[in-house]
Amino acid sequence: MNRPIIEISNLVKRYEMGNEEVYALRDVSLTIGSNEYVAIMGPSGSGKSTLMNMLGCLDTPTAGTYFFNGQDVREMNDDDLAEIRNREIGFVFQTFNLLPRATALQNVELPLVYSGVGKAERQDRAKQALEKVQLSDRMTHRPNELSGGQRQRVAIARAIVTAPSIILADEPTGNLDTKTGHDIMALFRSLWEGGNTVILVTHEEDVARHARRIIRLRDGRIESDKVNPDA
Amino acid sequence: MNALESVSIAIDAVRSQKLRSGLTLLSVGIGVFAIIAATSIMSTLSRAVSGQLADLGENSLLIQRTPTINFGTNWAKMRRRKNITYMQAKEFRDRMSSTNQIAISNQNPGMTVKSGQESTNPDVTLIGIDEMYFVVNAVSVSAGRPVTESEVATSRPVAIIGQDVVAALFPKVDPVGQLITLKNQSFLVIGVLTKKGGVLGQSQDNRVLIPITVFNKYYTWEWDASVDISVKAINKLMLMETKDEATGIMRALRGVKPWEENNFEIDANDALSGQFSGFTSAILAVAWISGLGALVAAGIGIMNMMLVSVKERTREIGVRKALGARRRWIIRQFLVESITLCQLGGTFGMLGGIAASWGVTELLREAMPSITYVFPTATVIFSIVICTIIGLAFGMYPAWRAAKLDPIEALRYE
Repeated sequence: MNRPIIEISNLVKRYEMGNEEVYALRDVSLTIGSNEYVAIMGPSGSGKSTLMNMLGCLDTPTAGTYFFNGQDVREMNDDDLAEIRNREIGFVFQTFNLLPRATALQNVELPLVYSGVGKAERQDRAKQALEKVQLSDRMTHRPNELSGGQRQRVAIARAIVTAPSIILADEPTGNLDTKTGHDIMALFRSLWEGGNTVILVTHEEDVARHARRIIRLRDGRIESDKVNPDA
Repeated sequence: MNALESVSIAIDAVRSQKLRSGLTLLSVGIGVFAIIAATSIMSTLSRAVSGQLADLGENSLLIQRTPTINFGTNWAKMRRRKNITYMQAKEFRDRMSSTNQIAISNQNPGMTVKSGQESTNPDVTLIGIDEMYFVVNAVSVSAGRPVTESEVATSRPVAIIGQDVVAALFPKVDPVGQLITLKNQSFLVIGVLTKKGGVLGQSQDNRVLIPITVFNKYYTWEWDASVDISVKAINKLMLMETKDEATGIMRALRGVKPWEENNFEIDANDALSGQFSGFTSAILAVAWISGLGALVAAGIGIMNMMLVSVKERTREIGVRKALGARRRWIIRQFLVESITLCQLGGTFGMLGGIAASWGVTELLREAMPSITYVFPTATVIFSIVICTIIGLAFGMYPAWRAAKLDPIEALRYE
């Protein structure tokens, strides 16, 4: 395995709902290395979303340890987490989550705004990212002037513009038709081939099939963690 | 991009919620309008009035039984004051050594002046004067001549009339040499006053001057009705000394004990304008309190708008946080938005206030030809500052609510 990026051991996430304690994750240990292509699968309620939130540094664990590139995530406050999300993680959402009033270019620039990159460099890098997803000709379009597939490409460009350590995609084809979904999966594949680390969270076998390693969750535990024989 | 983007989001919010934001912006506007209009009108007025008061004569003192313009003083006490009689005033004049420019006068508003079939409205101010009147006060005649010492001493029925009276009685003929009638007494017109304009809509030209001895005989309620004494110091440096001497003599003449306070008013010109500024400050205080009250109400409206805005954009906030926006970025975005809203309303109020005060100035120009519009620069700057403060103060809570949203829940929000 390449240099590890994500090192999770004995991770527990517990929520309090009223007087009841709910364990979303119980004792999960997991290591993901650089330039892996991983799919995290599981039925709803399996703890898949909670694990994704953990991996994406949107939430911190109740117990256990989580090191991201050697940094202890449990020790971090809100702003530290924001910074690590900004620099290390590129999110791709099922519903794209683009800002409706901003152009494609401005949407892609946004993470760079938050990391304090100057305007000229920001626009340069955003244009390059849009080129990588073949949307150079749609830079000044707003989301409502783009098709679903194009919107997801903009979102992917936004995810890769900061050159993050991982690209974390949550059901990235969930809102797309089959054909467009295939195109998007091909794009992820080429990003992976280009040296990126890609983590997909999905419940669709068809999507998970593209990954090189498939982790299956059930009831907050890892049920299986295997190399994908089909890939 | 961020600040500008927040500004355009704020303008979008106004457009999409026309009624709600319209009302909020209106209340900001009203607050700023009240402050700007009142300040501007009052400073325009005070400039014009202090100009007029300066006309009373430079380095002059005015001695009166009661103050000209009065706020909050004890009227019961004022009414008990004894009159300054003409005899007392003459005695005062004889005793003064630091200056000999002393004029004694008295006035009676609301006279009707007649000449033949013509008659004025019953609003002419009749002023009894002595020969020093034209020396001490900045008043002059444009035709004919002033009254003489002997005319005053011998109570001659002569009169000097203002331009408004000329216009009413003698529109076509030369008024000098004509006869006028005041309450059945006839007077020979010997002069015409130079046009002066008005103070607070009261014309300075609607007056008739006659010797004070005649005035005392026919036009006061009693022989010893209180007179006014104008004292002109020989120069500015002597003003305080002249005032001290005049105060001492008046106290002696009126039998004021050393431990008692003056039972008369003695004021320099600047003090008279000070009395006027007491009047303007009262109006300003009302305008500012109601203006600031409207702004606070507007602030609460802004806060409500911003809370709705935060709620509607929960998901967007989640996305921004996921992409790495720190709390202060979110706070900044929403503060820029609420300040923009305030400034938008403030700008309308400001333009309205400036237009209204300019309009009032133009309306007053008829009565006060010397009026010049005073642009309220300091108040405009203040309004911009106060709108920013209101935007900050009332935008802070919604912005903080936005900044502390949990990104996971915000992303899940539908």
